[in-house]
Amino acid sequence: MTPTTLALTTLVAPASAALVLAVVPGLRSRGWPAAALCILASVVSLGAALGVLSGCLADPTPSVLAVPWLRTSSVTVAEIGVRVDGVVASMLSVVTLVALSVQVFSLGYMHDEPRPAFGRYFAYHALFLLSMDVLVVAPNLLQLFAGWELVGVTSYLLIGFYYRKPSAARAAVKAFWVTKFADMGFLAGLLTLFVASGSFGWDAHLAPGTATVVTLLLFFAVVGKSAQFPLHVWLPDAMEGPTPVSALLHAATMVAAGVFLVVRADPLFAQAEATRTVMLVLGAATALFAALLALVQTDIKKVLAYSTCSQLGYMVAALGAGSMIGGFFHLTTHAFFKALLFLAAGSAIHAVHSNEIGDMGGLARRMPVTGGAFVVGALALAGVPGFSGFFSKDLVLEAVEGKLASLPWAALLATAFLTAFYMGRVVVVAFFGAPTGEKAERAHEPGWSMRGPLVVLGVLAAGGGVFAAPFAHLYGREYHFEMGVGPSLAAALAIGGFGAAYLVFGRAKGAPLPAPLALVDRVAKTSIVNRVYEVGYRRVALALADGLAWIDRYIVDGLINLLGYGTLEAGARARAVQTGLAPDYVLAAMLGVAGLAVWAVLR
Amino acid sequence: MNEHLLSVIVGAPAAAALVVMLLPSSARLGIRLASLLGAAVSLAGSVAALVGYDKARGGLQRAEDYPLVPALGVHLRFALDGWGGPLLLLTGIIIVAGVLASWTLGKRDKEFFVLLLVLVSGVFGVFVSQDLLVFFLFYEIAVLPMYLLIGIWGASHEVRAAGPFAFVWKRFKVGDKQYAAMKLTLMLLVGSAAILVAIFALYLQSGAHSFDLGDLAAARYPRALQIAAFPLLWLGFGTLAGVFPFHTWSPDGHASAPTAVSMLHAGVLMKLGAFGVMRVGMVLLPEGTRFWVPVVGAVAAINVLYGAFCAMSQTDLKYIVAYSSVSHMGVVMLGAATLTAAGWNGAVFQMVAHGIMTGLFFALVGLVYERAHTRAIARMGGFGTVMPGVAAFFTLACLSSLGLPGTAGFVSEFLVFLGAWQGGHLFWAIPGILGAFVTAIYVLKATRAIFWGPGPSEAFHDLADARRTEWGALLILGTGLVVLGFWPRLLLDPIDPGSVHHLARILAEVAR
Repeated sequence: MTPTTLALTTLVAPASAALVLAVVPGLRSRGWPAAALCILASVVSLGAALGVLSGCLADPTPSVLAVPWLRTSSVTVAEIGVRVDGVVASMLSVVTLVALSVQVFSLGYMHDEPRPAFGRYFAYHALFLLSMDVLVVAPNLLQLFAGWELVGVTSYLLIGFYYRKPSAARAAVKAFWVTKFADMGFLAGLLTLFVASGSFGWDAHLAPGTATVVTLLLFFAVVGKSAQFPLHVWLPDAMEGPTPVSALLHAATMVAAGVFLVVRADPLFAQAEATRTVMLVLGAATALFAALLALVQTDIKKVLAYSTCSQLGYMVAALGAGSMIGGFFHLTTHAFFKALLFLAAGSAIHAVHSNEIGDMGGLARRMPVTGGAFVVGALALAGVPGFSGFFSKDLVLEAVEGKLASLPWAALLATAFLTAFYMGRVVVVAFFGAPTGEKAERAHEPGWSMRGPLVVLGVLAAGGGVFAAPFAHLYGREYHFEMGVGPSLAAALAIGGFGAAYLVFGRAKGAPLPAPLALVDRVAKTSIVNRVYEVGYRRVALALADGLAWIDRYIVDGLINLLGYGTLEAGARARAVQTGLAPDYVLAAMLGVAGLAVWAVLR
Repeated sequence: MNEHLLSVIVGAPAAAALVVMLLPSSARLGIRLASLLGAAVSLAGSVAALVGYDKARGGLQRAEDYPLVPALGVHLRFALDGWGGPLLLLTGIIIVAGVLASWTLGKRDKEFFVLLLVLVSGVFGVFVSQDLLVFFLFYEIAVLPMYLLIGIWGASHEVRAAGPFAFVWKRFKVGDKQYAAMKLTLMLLVGSAAILVAIFALYLQSGAHSFDLGDLAAARYPRALQIAAFPLLWLGFGTLAGVFPFHTWSPDGHASAPTAVSMLHAGVLMKLGAFGVMRVGMVLLPEGTRFWVPVVGAVAAINVLYGAFCAMSQTDLKYIVAYSSVSHMGVVMLGAATLTAAGWNGAVFQMVAHGIMTGLFFALVGLVYERAHTRAIARMGGFGTVMPGVAAFFTLACLSSLGLPGTAGFVSEFLVFLGAWQGGHLFWAIPGILGAFVTAIYVLKATRAIFWGPGPSEAFHDLADARRTEWGALLILGTGLVVLGFWPRLLLDPIDPGSVHHLARILAEVAR
């Protein structure tokens, strides 16, 4: 099969599964057939994606298969189809691999759901994989936008999976609103790009001003999708969804779509140095800011959620520094270790029926696979030498070093320390020491379907660094690693962070947060950014809506009513003339004749 | 049969109405089957007309000509242009779904179906008429039955007396079904009067002794006449399209109307207004168009955003959907005002997309209302547990209305915004894009309030998912939204030559 046919297969397989599950409710309501169909589709997609990858490693020439989709004045405005190149091949493999792992994990994790809900869950997953693949293989930015919006919808559906829970319903709607708000930038960017270049391709040469406008608009959408400050507020709330969903959508793949967009549209971003500077600053700031918030969370999923914001900030900063490969390789390793962390956390949550790290404790002894997986994930995330995260972070730091007086670089180094510290805290509190409660004592390892994906992702999270060289090859670059000053510093900070966490939390478990952290905690609890949106929504948008609706009802429509009222009143007055008395009518006739006579004379 | 296809499409519902009139009122099933058959014949004919349209050749096809009043040059002239096929298809889809959704009606069934079918014959007639006077007659046939349909089968509700004009409540009850029917009919009739004046002005000025749209377009009109006549046509037809500030018949009318009538009115009839503005107002009066188009575009942008904000504040489900129509019809008028091929294609596509979407919305609202016995969304909650199918289709309609790629709503909004951007009308496009975002706010807010959350409470013991014929209605409409979203060329390929053809006249005239 040709590479484009293989890429097409990654669309057709989940599309068929989603379609069948949509039109045959019986399969969905029975649960297991839906799961089987969805996983089958993912296996086929993964196989096809790996085929694309091996093809690309042998011959990295891009190929495209597309048909006209929109035509006006008999001219094709946009095409849909598939494109195969190095970027697509690597992203597609990561997406399908993580998706399959998460789906298999879900077999065990979602096992206790009622059958129809179980089926619905997997139907959404098939739809998600389809949407994500549509985004990844897009031959132009319009199709990428279509996939982008579709993953947003599946995210909404999956966050709101427990739709009876008011908090989940709120979180789903919030996620949609915030990302949709940002997507207005994407739409405006696309329109500007098309009017300037006549296509939705990313290889257009634009005037410098136009390039800046287009990329800034696109980047606005990235800020929403990839949860950068100040539009990050939806991501922590999105943890209301089932934990495997958090692993797949809200850590490994969908939120990384923003980073993918920038990588994809690199030729455009390369023409806009101003946009890149904004990205560098915002990315580094988000990385540090979110890491601080992650320090004070007690919900294990919230720690990981803020950590995702923070790591996405790393990627955005790398792209802002012009290192496409740094941003993209960190996306890849992050997909492995963050999915691993979420799944391991899910396994722990499943065992103790609580998200609070205070309710866990000593889990590593009772759940060695889960504990081991989490520790591997934590080490990779912190960037401990040898683990995958170390190599990708190194690329990021190398790219950022020296830019803007090295301030972003310093922020990212500080973040590296904080990352190791908050992950160390979770590991120490939740997985080591003595069990803190009855639930934690009775925790036990889950079934094979949950352990298997942990092992696969664990291996990738640990050893993912070896992909750096072939990865660079896909982009036609060379990769060398040298344990110079920078990497040594990052390594020292990572190890130091773990050490500090052990010193602070290793002994005095359950002790109050140290003073500086308590301050962060107090600031975090004010959730000032959320408040601003809340006020904007209630005091501005809703107030405006209520005001306009009142005007419409009582002024705009009121004037129409006034017209009707006036007509009726005039009729009522005029009716008085119709007295029914013959003398009145004769009088009127006489007056009329007299009037005519006067008119005739005066004329 | 084939050369009379358009007559068959227009005549089938009227013939079915005749059959229904002859049936006894007790033949409940017979009445429904005859109605469904009439609607289905028109739908099948519409599909055939759409498929058979030669896109490469473009222009007018399948012409039929029957002299009506030869002395005045009035002919019953039918022909199909690029726009006709998609709009016929929309009408066919909505009437079939509307009949299916009215299956459980229980009041004066016979009269209801007769009026519904007569109305829809009028709609089909407008879309294929090439004679302006006949066009206008069909237009009136489509508009007038509404008065009875709302006045008899509608539902009343309370509107609190307030504001500077609160004294009008002394004379009539605002929100009452008779009030809604009366307001709708009177406002549209004033519009019709304006249209009629303009029609006669053009007929006399052209000197062609013909009402043929081609002849009228070929004539040259003085600039002063064009500038004077265009607002008559814009506001006359525009009232039916919900053009601000003459849209206020729509929320009350749609909220009072029974399900199938709301579906037809918001789904198809409002399109007649926009179609009239473009096909008659803009095509016949190029210079008037150019003079007024900045106003048309600005008002359309107001429509989009104003309608969306008004919808956001509503607490009654039907009012939300009704205001969303005001907002979405603004997108049609916005596309028309761009005078670009992309904008016009988007406008016509939006007529179809919004028609199907709002038809689906009203069908669902009717279902929910019938079972919950309330339309106040504040009292609802957790309905998704009991009616998952309805919830799924409602979500689909929401997604199309906020312009999600993969649904028909995206294609039209995108083309309209593209047209506006190409024309440099950022001040129209940006409110349009904002309007789509505000739509996302209110539709998802409503979905959450109705279907999500714990519940439903015990007060709602009648709740149940859709039933037999109702599924039919939902499936036809829902499938339409998704199919057109994924493969818009089904309709765009014929629409495009139509837009290019009509626009060419305007642009050529303007350039002269």
